[in-house]
Amino acid sequence: MPAEWGIKIAGAHRFAMKNGTPALAAPVAGLTAHIRKGPVGGANEDAVLALNHALVRSHLGLEISGQTDRIIQIDHWRGGPAAHVTSAVQIEVAAGASATVVETFSGSAAAHLGNHATRIKVGDGASFTHIVLDKSDHISRHLASFDYEIGADVRLRSLVINDGAALSRTYISANFGGSGSHGDFGGLNLAGEGTHLDIPLDIVHAVAGTTSTELFKQVANRGGKAIFQGRIIVARGAQKTDAKMMMAGLMLAEGAQILAKPELEIYADDVVCGHGATCGDLDDEQLFYLMSRGIDPADARAMLVRAFVEELFDFLGEGDLYDVLHDVMSGVASDWVAGQ
Amino acid sequence: MSTPLLEINDLRVSVEDREILKGVNLTLQGGEVHAIMGRNGSGKSTLSYVLAGKAGYEVTGGTVHLKGRDLLAMSPDQRAVAGLFLAFQYPIEIPGVATMTFLKVALNAQRKARGEAELSTPDFIRVVREAAGELEIDTAMLKRALNVGFSGGEKKRAEILQMSLLKPSICVMDETDSGLDIDALKIVARGVNILRNPDRAMLVITHYQRLLNHIVPDKVHVFADGRIVKSGGKELALELEKQGYAGFDEPALDSATGLAS
Repeated sequence: MPAEWGIKIAGAHRFAMKNGTPALAAPVAGLTAHIRKGPVGGANEDAVLALNHALVRSHLGLEISGQTDRIIQIDHWRGGPAAHVTSAVQIEVAAGASATVVETFSGSAAAHLGNHATRIKVGDGASFTHIVLDKSDHISRHLASFDYEIGADVRLRSLVINDGAALSRTYISANFGGSGSHGDFGGLNLAGEGTHLDIPLDIVHAVAGTTSTELFKQVANRGGKAIFQGRIIVARGAQKTDAKMMMAGLMLAEGAQILAKPELEIYADDVVCGHGATCGDLDDEQLFYLMSRGIDPADARAMLVRAFVEELFDFLGEGDLYDVLHDVMSGVASDWVAGQ
Repeated sequence: MSTPLLEINDLRVSVEDREILKGVNLTLQGGEVHAIMGRNGSGKSTLSYVLAGKAGYEVTGGTVHLKGRDLLAMSPDQRAVAGLFLAFQYPIEIPGVATMTFLKVALNAQRKARGEAELSTPDFIRVVREAAGELEIDTAMLKRALNVGFSGGEKKRAEILQMSLLKPSICVMDETDSGLDIDALKIVARGVNILRNPDRAMLVITHYQRLLNHIVPDKVHVFADGRIVKSGGKELALELEKQGYAGFDEPALDSATGLAS
């Protein structure tokens, strides 16, 4: 095993998940960790998730109570000979608690197939930020499922970034089960040549008085395919739901593919729901403006791609805690641009 | 006389097979400010875009030299590095690019291309503060995304600030006065006047004589139908203001309708 593995986030409280095996870290105030036998709970009709439930041997359980100022990182790393690696995490955020959890995926110099599932319960009045970053090697295949069970008066922020495996499917599901809650769901697919990245999303507004935004951005280069399939279900009686879904695509070359499929299923009559999609290439006027100031074409293009994705990272705002994350996140985008 | 800063010889340009510039001749020496005046559609803005290297314009004849170098052979970024600066009539908004980041990247790209050391962040901030102070620009504006939500006046001031930081040899100002009220116009003109020096020449493109009260040109050229039809001193601008462009247009205007016949 290499001495350097995983993804470093300065100051993070890190849990290692090497080849799917959870390990505990030193205790920290407001956070309890366990290793439990078997799969995470919850029923789901999704086939990939069902496979995960059937095969996973143990999972990492995190219980968050109170305020945790440090970023909690779950550092998934796959290495050694090619294998089917199944892993799972369960996170329970207690009522009124507040935390940021970052899950990173890396490694896999061999043709691993990863199947990961995280199940998150966010208690009443809690504030939770969850960021998922796939930086696995291109040769690997990455299947991951993230499920959010949301209580009342919750503030949830979810962001997934795919910039690793050549084939990935990141399934996001959320159920708003308590009123007064708001969730912001964001995602970024960076699809270079020979890459197929898929984000299916299922959001259920099950009760009255919940709101959400969904903003997914996709950048594809020649031979890359990026897919977003977003479904919002507003249940019978879930009045005053406000959900706005947006997909923005940027195609950098001929032969790039971006697919988007919005679905709204609305069974209540007093709701505000909308969806939109845009797709285009870089703006020639903007490129010319940057070049007219002496910036060479490659750097000008990189600036515009970064500008396109930057909006997703805006919420990281200012402050020590977020500076680190912002650097990691925007580094992902600029590294990708530099590599194209 | 030394090599001119900018020398345009019989420049002919077409857009989609339609000839827009029909043989432009113009020479700017160091320290000179020339004004180009003409009505809409006379080809003034085309000239500025062709000089800056915008795509979509086909040069069908003639030459342009910047300090003796073939400008038309260069890409837009190379032209900027060589010393050309175009102040846009409508500066482009770029959401997601912070103005300060943009200024730093542009300044260091040019320094690097010229073989100069790149500026560190503290040095860069000091240089921007000094330039902004001299031009009476509020630095709060620079914290926003590039040109996004800027008023017309702020956009033009931001252009002048870029000009001040990038220290070009040739400044082309494309209708810098458009969309400015008189106070904003004075601030922009003051900035331009601060930047006048013997190693720099300026080409001021405008509709109106008004701007030339504040940026007094050495020469005025009247542009009509893709070429310069008359050149003179600053008094030519006053003459134009009084008489309009009527006498300069080709074909001549129909006296009865006032429309081109």
